[in-house]
Parts: sequence; structure tokens; C-alpha cells
Amino acid sequence: MIKNIIALAVGIFAMSSISLMSADNVFPYKYDVNTLENGLKIITVPMPSNGIVSYFTVVRTGSRDEYEVGKTGFAHFFEHMMFRGTKKYPGTVYDSLIISIGADGNAYTTDDYTAYHLNLANEDLDLVMELESDRFQNLSYPEPDFKTESGAVYGEYRKNITDPGNVIWEKLKFTAFDKHTYKHSTIGFEEDIKAMPTLFEYSKEFYSRYYRPENCILFIAGDIKTSDILTKAKKYYSPWKRGYVTPKIEAEPAQTAPRSEKVTYDGKTNPMLGIGYKTAAFDSKSKSSVSRELIGDLAFGSNSELYKKLYLKEQKVQYISPYFPQNRDPFLSIIFTMVNDVNDISYVETEIQKAVDWYQTNLVDKKKLEDLKKRQKYGFLMGLDTPDNLTGGLARTVAITGGIEAIEDYFKTLESITPQDIQNEAKKMNASQRTVIELKGTK
Amino acid sequence: MKNTTKLQLLSLALLLSIAFTSNLSSKEKSSDKVIMKIDADPLVAYNIWFKVGSVNDPKGKEGLAYLTAQLMSDASTTKNEYSGILELLYPMATSYGTKVDKEMITFQGRVHKDNIKKYNELFLDAILNPAFKEDDFNRVKNNTLNFIKNELRYSSDEELGKFSLYNFVFAGTAYEHIMAGTVEGLESITLKDIKDFHKNYFNKNNYVIGLGGGFDNNLVETVKSRLDKLADSKTNTKVDIKPKSINGLEVVIVEKENNSTAISFGFPIDVLRGDDDFFALALFSSWFGEHRNQSSHLFQVIRGERGLNYGDYAYIERYLNGGSVSKPDPNNARNSQLFEVWLRPVQHKHRHFALRAAMRELKLVVDNGMTEQQVETTKRFLNKYSIHWAATTSERLGYQVDSEFYGVKDGGNYINYFRERIKNLTAEQVNNAIKKHIQYNNVKFAMITSDAESFKNDLVNNTASPIEYDSPKPEEVYEADKEISTFKLNFKADKVTIIPVDKMFQK
Repeated sequence: MIKNIIALAVGIFAMSSISLMSADNVFPYKYDVNTLENGLKIITVPMPSNGIVSYFTVVRTGSRDEYEVGKTGFAHFFEHMMFRGTKKYPGTVYDSLIISIGADGNAYTTDDYTAYHLNLANEDLDLVMELESDRFQNLSYPEPDFKTESGAVYGEYRKNITDPGNVIWEKLKFTAFDKHTYKHSTIGFEEDIKAMPTLFEYSKEFYSRYYRPENCILFIAGDIKTSDILTKAKKYYSPWKRGYVTPKIEAEPAQTAPRSEKVTYDGKTNPMLGIGYKTAAFDSKSKSSVSRELIGDLAFGSNSELYKKLYLKEQKVQYISPYFPQNRDPFLSIIFTMVNDVNDISYVETEIQKAVDWYQTNLVDKKKLEDLKKRQKYGFLMGLDTPDNLTGGLARTVAITGGIEAIEDYFKTLESITPQDIQNEAKKMNASQRTVIELKGTK
Repeated sequence: MKNTTKLQLLSLALLLSIAFTSNLSSKEKSSDKVIMKIDADPLVAYNIWFKVGSVNDPKGKEGLAYLTAQLMSDASTTKNEYSGILELLYPMATSYGTKVDKEMITFQGRVHKDNIKKYNELFLDAILNPAFKEDDFNRVKNNTLNFIKNELRYSSDEELGKFSLYNFVFAGTAYEHIMAGTVEGLESITLKDIKDFHKNYFNKNNYVIGLGGGFDNNLVETVKSRLDKLADSKTNTKVDIKPKSINGLEVVIVEKENNSTAISFGFPIDVLRGDDDFFALALFSSWFGEHRNQSSHLFQVIRGERGLNYGDYAYIERYLNGGSVSKPDPNNARNSQLFEVWLRPVQHKHRHFALRAAMRELKLVVDNGMTEQQVETTKRFLNKYSIHWAATTSERLGYQVDSEFYGVKDGGNYINYFRERIKNLTAEQVNNAIKKHIQYNNVKFAMITSDAESFKNDLVNNTASPIEYDSPKPEEVYEADKEISTFKLNFKADKVTIIPVDKMFQK
């Protein structure tokens, strides 16, 4: 019913990456990676799909790149502006063409990347590639359109903030980070959202800095021929000029002491806890990185002792949900839970830390670890059943690593993980790395 | 504009990929199987449909169907503790679950075919041998109460608005309460109620087997022979739903402290999936307000041109979880449906204006109909867009189960059938269907807002609601705004009810 806290947490049109793991190079499709002279990378995954194609343009820029004061939420806002058209294809014309081919298109923004995606019939690829290449090179909108769209973004914020999951998410990020841009959520601070209408000139700067071929990846799966995609890509995307400007994101200083904050939700809710542990950036070849993801599942997933204890047996919580994401920069491994009784908050908090402690001092049962590896294999395979599920599921990994190779690396690393690796990693999750947020409703 | 031959090929490809049989020749029942075999598919999808739903909740025990199904899918069986079930499912990376709707309950799941044997055992065990244990009961009941008291009332005004509209329209019928029940209903339910409900309604005469994907031939028989071990009771689950006629504009304002106003409105329509007018109305509602699509007319007027909110949509079938999904989720088939308009939250200062804007657009299209060009454009759009509604085997299976519910003779591929029906529509048919079924004089509204009394006064007094923008708009927007801001809507004080949010779904 409400176990989708992960979806809440990622933010706008949230889509968490499926687990990219299995044994023996299990990615079942052959893929090709090509790069145009201007640096635009094109990943193609031909697969049988009855003529359907999923077409992703991944921009390796998200709310992480909003390093300037007053600009939080801008990557997401800008995603909206990408639908406002070009001189050749104004917004309404773009819309009418997409309508005429019945493509299912949308976009979403996350902390580390922005994705523009369409599901279409392969016979319409030429039109779609022309339209997509055009808006990535020639976006043009009048200032009034820009201001109007900011109203829609504020509407999105107001819609989201009625959910306590978003309130605790904002507070957790804000508390855990001092310098790094992960301090703010993808939708941004409310005061910055309100000020968006004044940033018309900045929006052009943003486009010019980040919407560049060397910062983008075309990720296309379905009934396609790579050679055909490449011919069209050369035709439509070659004029796109390089010019990416690296954002000046400050590194987060090491956390040296536990942090905790309380936050209120203006409404009625059971209390919530969000507990985050500082985590290194994702690295598919690193045992530490892969082990960390596994700990989320082992210690807090539906097969964990803690889940059985707090959710099934004692019934102290509505749910307990690990969110151990892959990120481009060091981020957090998070446990969200909703507590039934306000008097049990500190008990639940203690139990969560005890679950971590257990993995610091004990070796996980080998069978349990092998079961988890199996689960990752089947989860991975089952997530590839349509072109859209494939691209959507792998987009995060493609975005943060800049390619698709990390998937095979990940599988290899996963296979090598031992109970000792899990313990070594758990030892890094100590109190000094922790941020605890407690949320209570006002009613 | 596009090559139709290629399109036809595409349809054919979709059709050929599914070897479909529906057991229509069964002598005892109209059909008890929906089988969609796809040999190349590495996955197997389950969709077991029981012909029972929240309409069968006894008075005062609202939520009984919901709790019973939850205690089958998310709890212990007589063979396995729930924690043991989770452990067994874990390496398969899968689960199963239930979807409880007004008139249907489905148990759904999917598994990689490597694991079919183990999974099949667990899945059927859940349906056949639920343990109905006290601690599972307490957990599921508590979660459901939390869902109503906290989540629904407080954390999503959008869902709250839509559920409030449905309860309002269907007041006095068995549709009046939401599937999860009412607070008092849930609190009065006992384990004995649940055991009795299971025995009476989840019986061997009341299910349809849905299976899709790459399974072996004997799976269907295995499932059937096992499910035939359910109790041999016979219960009539069909409940007639006759919503009260709406007299003018009737309003429920759910009052709470919030930062924006959620607006839903609509009225019952006597058109179901498969009826001739259904396809004409589907085209109309797609043009007027295709879900989560900026092609929609309402979206263009309210968000695109004016930036008042995040989106504005219209439906002719219940669309659950609209806030979080972008495609319709099958298996909430119903014998009574609404024409429904959903405006995502607008700032309070724009609530009256947005409501007027939407009603004005409704009046314009009802009075003037759709143009030939709008109809043709929407036909082209839907012809391909609908393909995306059912991309996975599970989704396609879900649609075929719904076809069985509605009795749609679609040859085993509803989506293709839908496309064919849309393709053959004329503007005249569409406009006739609009004239016949869509109107703007007798409508129910559900709105979630604060300062309800003042909103009520504005509505009843037809107070002007001029709007100002932060940025210049095209001249035609200003022109239209003049009309919108004074657009007369005949609200009457005695037909506007204000309900505090904590009273919602109470009993």
C-alpha cells in the first residue's frame, strides 16, 4: 500500500534503477556503443519488441549540478522548458507531431541526471530523431512561456509537499550535507521555485552549459538496427556543438559526528524516521560499493531479520524500506520507516542501528547471500521485458557511469562478494556517519 | 501522413505474438479461463480473478472484502508462516499481490519460468489455504486504518478528491465506500467475518484463471484442479448499482488546512467498455483530457497556456492511482462508470477560476462538438498511443481479463480491437455520443480545500474570479479569461455540503 517510499524519495517522476546484477554476464541482449565526433554517445540495444522502440536521451545533469545560490530546482524546471519548442518546431507543433505518431513521451529529473524518453513505433524513428535533435540544439522559447511554465512547476511542488515522505526527504538531505549540492532535493527549495520566473536569462546559460553532446547519451532499445540509428544520428545530431562546462560542485567534507534533526509535517501522519549513512560514490568494480547495496537488502529488505521483527512480529512499524541508491558523488544509504506508536520511535531507531551493528560483528549466512545474488539475477532479467523497462531500468547506471559497461562489471563484482566483504562494508556504517531525521505530524 | 501498410503490419505483429484461447465453450460457466500463451516469453504472468468485490461488503463491515484478500496475499497460510513465504519468494525476486476493486478481486504475480513450480505452489496456497491468523489480521487491519486515517485524508489531496467524488456520486449504493472500507467498518470486522467471507465468496464456482507467457501446457490444468478444491458454495455477487440522479450542480467540499485546492467532478454514464458509444467517448475523453498527456485540451487550457497547475485530465472509466501511474492499470472493471474530470491542485486563489475554466471547456465541446480535424488527429494519436498501454505480458493479460468481465469479443487482443474501433469512427459518431452522454447541467463536484465557507459563498454567489498573471499572455487568453472569470455556474447553497476531512470515510 505505501511501501513505495523509494519512489517518493527520488523525487520527480522517480525511477530507481533496477538492480544490475547477475551471474555470468547475464545481460541477455547484444548492445552497441558508438560515439559521434562531437562526443555524443549512442547506446543501442536491438531486441524483439513487435515494432516498439524506447528512445532515451540521458543528460548527465540533475539537481546535483545546481551549485549556484538561488538556483535549486532549476534542472527540473528546465526539463519542463524542453517541451516549449524551437523556431522550426514551436511547442505546439512539436506536440502535434508527437500526437500524430501516438508516441508516449515524457521526462523526469533526478539528483544525478535528467531523462527525456519516448515510446514509439520504429517507423517513426526518423521523425522522432529529427525532433529530439532539434530541441537539444535549437531550443527557443519566449519569456512569457518561461514564466507560465514556472507556475506548473510550483504546482508540482505543492502537490508533492502534501506527502510526509517528501518532507522527511528534504530534511534528511538538508541535514546530512553541508557543502555538496545533494543538500537540496531535486524539486528545489520553495523560495527558489517561487523565484524561478526571474531566471529567464539564466535558463539560456543553463542550456548552453549542460545540454551539450559530450554530456548526453542516446540510449535506444527495441526493434532497431544499430546501423540505421547511426545513419540517422549522424544526420541529425552531427551539427550539435561541444561546449560542456563542468559545474563547480563542492566536495562534501567528511562527516565526523552523528547528526539528528526533527521535522514536523503539517497534517496527520504516523511518525517517520529517515536514517542515512554517508556512502561512497557508486563504482561497479568496487566490492565496497556493491557490498553496500547488498547490505540494504540483507539488513532491511523483506527477507531481513529486522523486517520480520519490527513489521511482522512486533508490528511496531507500517513498513521499513531501505533506499541504498547508486550515485555519482558520495551520497547516503537510507532506511525509511513509519512507526505506529509515537512512544516507539527511539526503540525503532535503536533496532535499526542494532541491525547494522549485527552485520559489523557477524558474518552473513552464506545461503542468504547466495539467495540475494539469485534474487538480483532474476530481478534483473525480469526487469528487461520491454524496451521501455530496459532503458528506464538502466538509465541511472548509464547516466552516472557514462556508459553501459558498468553493468557487466557490476555482475562480476557481485559474484565475488563474500560474507567478509559485507562485514567490512558494514563497519563503515557507524554512528559518526549517520543522520537521523524524526518526523511527526502536527495533528 | 504515415504509411498505413506499416501500421497494419505492426498490428498484425502484435496479434500474432499471442496465441490466445478463451474457454467459451464451457458448459457450466460462460468462461473460466483467459489463457495467453507466448512461448518465447521467459516470464509467466498470473491473474486469478474472483467475481467479488467491495460491493459485497455487508453493511457496517465495509472493508471486509479488502481485508480478506489482503490476508490471502500478504499473510501466512496453513503451510507457511508469512515470513517463510517471503523467504521462499526472495531468491525468485518476485512476489504476488491482490487488487481489490468494487466488483472484482484479482490475485496477480509473475515469475521467471525457471521458478514456476515453486512459485505456483506458493501462489495457489495463498488462495486456497490462508491461515487467517490473529497477528496477520492485526497488522493488515492496522495498515489499512493508517491508510485511510492518515494517508488518504492527509497526504494526497488528489486521491482524496477522486475518492470523495466517487463516494458522493454513488451515495446510497454499494459503491459508496472505498475499497479499503470505512474506519468504523474496519474496526468492527472480526476474524470470523473474514473466514466466512473467504468461504462464501472465494469459491470454486466464482473464479476465472488468467495465465500468460511462457508456461507449459499442463500449468492451466494444474491451476484449475487445485482451485477446484475451493469450497463449493454458490453466492450471487452481482449487485445492482443505481446512482441517484443528479439535480443541478451538487458539491461536496472537504475542508482541511492545505496549500492548494484539488478539484474533481463528474456524473454517471451508461456506457461500458465494448459498447458502441464507448469508443466514441474514449476518443472524446482522450482529446479532452488524455491522462498525463500534454496533448490534452484541458491540459493546454489550464496548464499549458495559464500555468495554473500540473495537469488536467478526463476519464470515462475509473482510473486508479492517477497521481503515480501514467498508463491505465487494468482490473478495476466496473458495471457503473463516471465521466470524470480531474484538475490537479491549484492555488486557492485560482480555485474558482480553474473550476470555471474546466466547466466552460466542457460546455463548449458539448454545445459545439469536436471538429473533423480534432477527431482525425485524435484517431491517429490513439491508434498508436494505445499500443503503449499494454507492453508487458502481465498488462496484456490484465486487459484480457477485463474483456472477459465486460464481455468484449475482441478476438483475444483488446488493444488491437480498441485501435480498430477507433480507426473506424466518424466525427458524426463521436459528436452523437457526446450529445447523448455528456452534459454540464447535472454534475457532482468534490473539492478539497481550506476556508470552505468562503469558497461556498463564491460558488453560490457566482462571485467574479478575475485572474492576474506574472507574465504577459496572448490576447486570446485575456479574451477568454474575461468570459471564464464571470462564467455563470448555477450552484445553490443547499446543494453545497462542507465536510471536515476527519469525517471522510469514517462510516
